[in-house]
Amino acid sequence: MLDGGDDAAVPNGHAIDAGRTPAGAAPLLALSGIAKEFPGVRALAGVDFNLRRGEVHAVCGENGAGKSTLMKIIGGVHAPSAGRLLYKGVERRFASPLEAEAAGIAMIHQELNLVAHLSVAENIFLGREPRRGFLVDRHALRAGAQACLDRLGAAIDPDAPVRGLSMAQRQLVEIAKALSLEAELLIMDEPTSSLTEQEAQSLFRVIRDLKAAGVGIVYISHRLDEMREIVDRVTVLRDGRHVATDALAATTIDQIVARMVGRALDEKFPERTSVPTGDVILEAAGLTRAGAFRDVSFALRRGEILGFAGLMGAGRTEVARAVFGADPLESGTLAIEGRRLSIRDPRDAIAAGIAYLSEDRKAQGLAVTMPVDANLTLANLGAVASRLGLIDAARHAAAAQDYVDRLGIRTPSLRQPVRLLSGGNQQKIIIGKWLFRDAKVMLFDKPTRGIDVGAKLAIYTIMDRLAARGIGVVLISSELPEILGMTDRVAVFHRGRLVRILDTARTDQEEIMHYASGFGGREG
Amino acid sequence: MPAGLTPPVAAARSRLSDRQKDLIQTFAALGSLVALVAAFSLTSPAFLSLGNGMSIGLQVTSIALLGIGATVVIVAGGIDLSVGSVLALAGVVAALCVKELGLAVPLAMLAGIGVGGVCGLVNGLVVTRLKLPPFIATLGMMLIARGLALQITGARAVSGLGESFGELGNGALLRLVRVGDDGFPEVLFPGIPYPVLLMAGLALAVAFLLRRSVIGRHVYAVGSNAEAARLSGVAVDRVVTLTYVLSGLLAGLTGCVLMSRLVTAQPNEGVMYELDAIASAVIGGTSLAGGVGTISGTVIGAFVIGILRNGLNMNGVSAFTQQIVIGLVILLTVWIDQLRNRR
Ligand SMILES: Nc1ncnc2c1ncn2[C@@H]1O[C@H](COP(=O)(O)OP(=O)(O)OP(=O)(O)O)[C@@H](O)[C@H]1O
Ligand SMILES: [Mg+2]
Repeated sequence: MLDGGDDAAVPNGHAIDAGRTPAGAAPLLALSGIAKEFPGVRALAGVDFNLRRGEVHAVCGENGAGKSTLMKIIGGVHAPSAGRLLYKGVERRFASPLEAEAAGIAMIHQELNLVAHLSVAENIFLGREPRRGFLVDRHALRAGAQACLDRLGAAIDPDAPVRGLSMAQRQLVEIAKALSLEAELLIMDEPTSSLTEQEAQSLFRVIRDLKAAGVGIVYISHRLDEMREIVDRVTVLRDGRHVATDALAATTIDQIVARMVGRALDEKFPERTSVPTGDVILEAAGLTRAGAFRDVSFALRRGEILGFAGLMGAGRTEVARAVFGADPLESGTLAIEGRRLSIRDPRDAIAAGIAYLSEDRKAQGLAVTMPVDANLTLANLGAVASRLGLIDAARHAAAAQDYVDRLGIRTPSLRQPVRLLSGGNQQKIIIGKWLFRDAKVMLFDKPTRGIDVGAKLAIYTIMDRLAARGIGVVLISSELPEILGMTDRVAVFHRGRLVRILDTARTDQEEIMHYASGFGGREG
Repeated sequence: MPAGLTPPVAAARSRLSDRQKDLIQTFAALGSLVALVAAFSLTSPAFLSLGNGMSIGLQVTSIALLGIGATVVIVAGGIDLSVGSVLALAGVVAALCVKELGLAVPLAMLAGIGVGGVCGLVNGLVVTRLKLPPFIATLGMMLIARGLALQITGARAVSGLGESFGELGNGALLRLVRVGDDGFPEVLFPGIPYPVLLMAGLALAVAFLLRRSVIGRHVYAVGSNAEAARLSGVAVDRVVTLTYVLSGLLAGLTGCVLMSRLVTAQPNEGVMYELDAIASAVIGGTSLAGGVGTISGTVIGAFVIGILRNGLNMNGVSAFTQQIVIGLVILLTVWIDQLRNRR
């Protein structure tokens, strides 16, 4: 089955031509032989795909397999180099996202595309604001936005500027925006990558409603376990080629993974080899910033992986950013290896041996116009430069190549601008950047966001090795399996407070969720 | 693959292929430069002469020097509108140092360049400390520096500066002169004018720094994504300030060169030169959004502007029409530049 990608598609082969045959349920969308070449990259090589009404069709594949490119071709963002697209049985070629939208196709992009200084409501209705005469009807705008957000169960103020929202909230706004289009075909490219379980569940409820209403949904996610909740069929892509399309009921997650990666993947998490030693490497006491977090204290030990768990808005990212000096602290103390630190900006933190991998790769992680190698070395240029500050080209390239290999970053060259890489490969670049910095304390904020299963395992393994070398690691994650699989202890946050620190070996999802939801706080 | 493997290769290639776009973009500025030279050589026979080459070189020098500064500032995500005024202030200060204080010419010019650097420093601090948008900060400096230049000279040209003041702008290296039989000097080889040498040397040096040094890399990073740079440990404010200081120093130098050529300091010199500088950077592929741009591109851009002016002049095209043409060239090159980034 693995190598038999060609055969694998045959059971569903009839559906591909169904668009031309009036008999039976014509698919909402039928793609055949879709190819796309970018300069130096063949992203898609003859892919077939179809989507029925009222169906959720998942597209799986490794980072850089071509999923987003395929979606962008459907959504009118890219023009295919070859191939045909039949929408509702008619051959179409959308010249722009606007044209696709007019035809009833909406898309949630992998990267968030909100206008930071506009409000949530203004973003949701950007370009199609309800009007009264020449003026925007502010009441209708607000009410419409509120309705979309309510549908998702998202407690977000429609008047709040997007600038102040967390990643998870922004992602919900993107989803609300797509829902507001009332599309017949909805493309969701990693809609849950920043969401916690709870918000994801609300999204799945909405998806089920849409399905019942006959909307066709293409769903992309690297959280494969989610698929069981909503997905009807799965298509696997590898290296821009179609490998298989199956009903989910007729396959297993393991089989899907094997098809994606090209080999069986026995485990999701590596055996933990590191053992936390007694001595504390980072000590935080009474960290406070009004409106964000209050009285947060924890001690991170050498060789330890400490998880930060919590719901949306629990303050985990805020605490990590404050420890790193990216945002100010109002009170509280920090010490590394027993020495008190005064950290005013990230440079102080980096000098003290702290690294912070930010959650928002586009806005805070990457210099997207710069090439792969420049991004990988940005936080540690001194290591590849002479004392006079001249970069040694050979050492620079070697260092960059090393991380490209280690993390399996898919790029046509070291000089490729990062904005042209796939989302998961961009994420790997940020990870590489901080691995190259080699800190004593590493704060990883959702490091595996958008990373495929195989690469996740590689990154977990690297994390374990870091810990084994005596580095203290903080892992902020909204995926409880990841927390349970990788950490030694879990600090559970609720509304800006660190409620409880649990021993990972002696806890479970229920207990973590219990504390994360605000029950049994320390105050008692 | 299922049946759909051999699809009709539809109208995907209706427009330019990506590779073609790529080539056009890379060579857009250079190609238009070559085209211009070819066109002007045909329309006006004097265009390709050594003498005209020299005068183009000198004309281009000031645009290129300012353009180098503009490139660095723009790559770091800023803009400097003050260089035209700053060069006037710097040149006037140098002249007054000679005339009023009796300073030696090299020292006086260093003082002028220093004044340029100080103006740049003020720009940098206003942008980083007061957090004013670069457009506003340097617009303010544009008015202030021009006002100062007019003020300290009483709005009059400073002349009678002595021959040595003209050396920088009019001298040349390797100039070969033979005294003929009739006793008149005969120029065998006009030499390489000092300003052109300066421009070439500085272009190479700044290009090298941008490409190869840590600080150069930081300039790109700050312009590409200031927040990502800050979180990577780049001293963003320091880098930004430095770019304005460099731009100010180069404006100061340009001022000295220009005033030296005329052996007169004009407080009204350099009006609107900032726009030429920015235009040369943009024609050369620098993105006003920051993070993208090269010195080589800017130098080519400066030549495009200089040659356009010179060639149009020689063909008797009016100054007004010249403006229209240069405006169109800017629009065209930027449009070609953006072609590559579409779809
Ligand atoms: N605009 C572009 N220019 C050049 N190459 C591109 C461009 N967009 C995508 N690519 C390349 O095409 C390939 C497929 O990218 P795509 O974004 O479709 O991957 P993906 O399957 O969505 O991966 P991920 O899981 O990481 O999001 C990658 O190798 C990527 O580098
Ligand atoms: Mg993608």
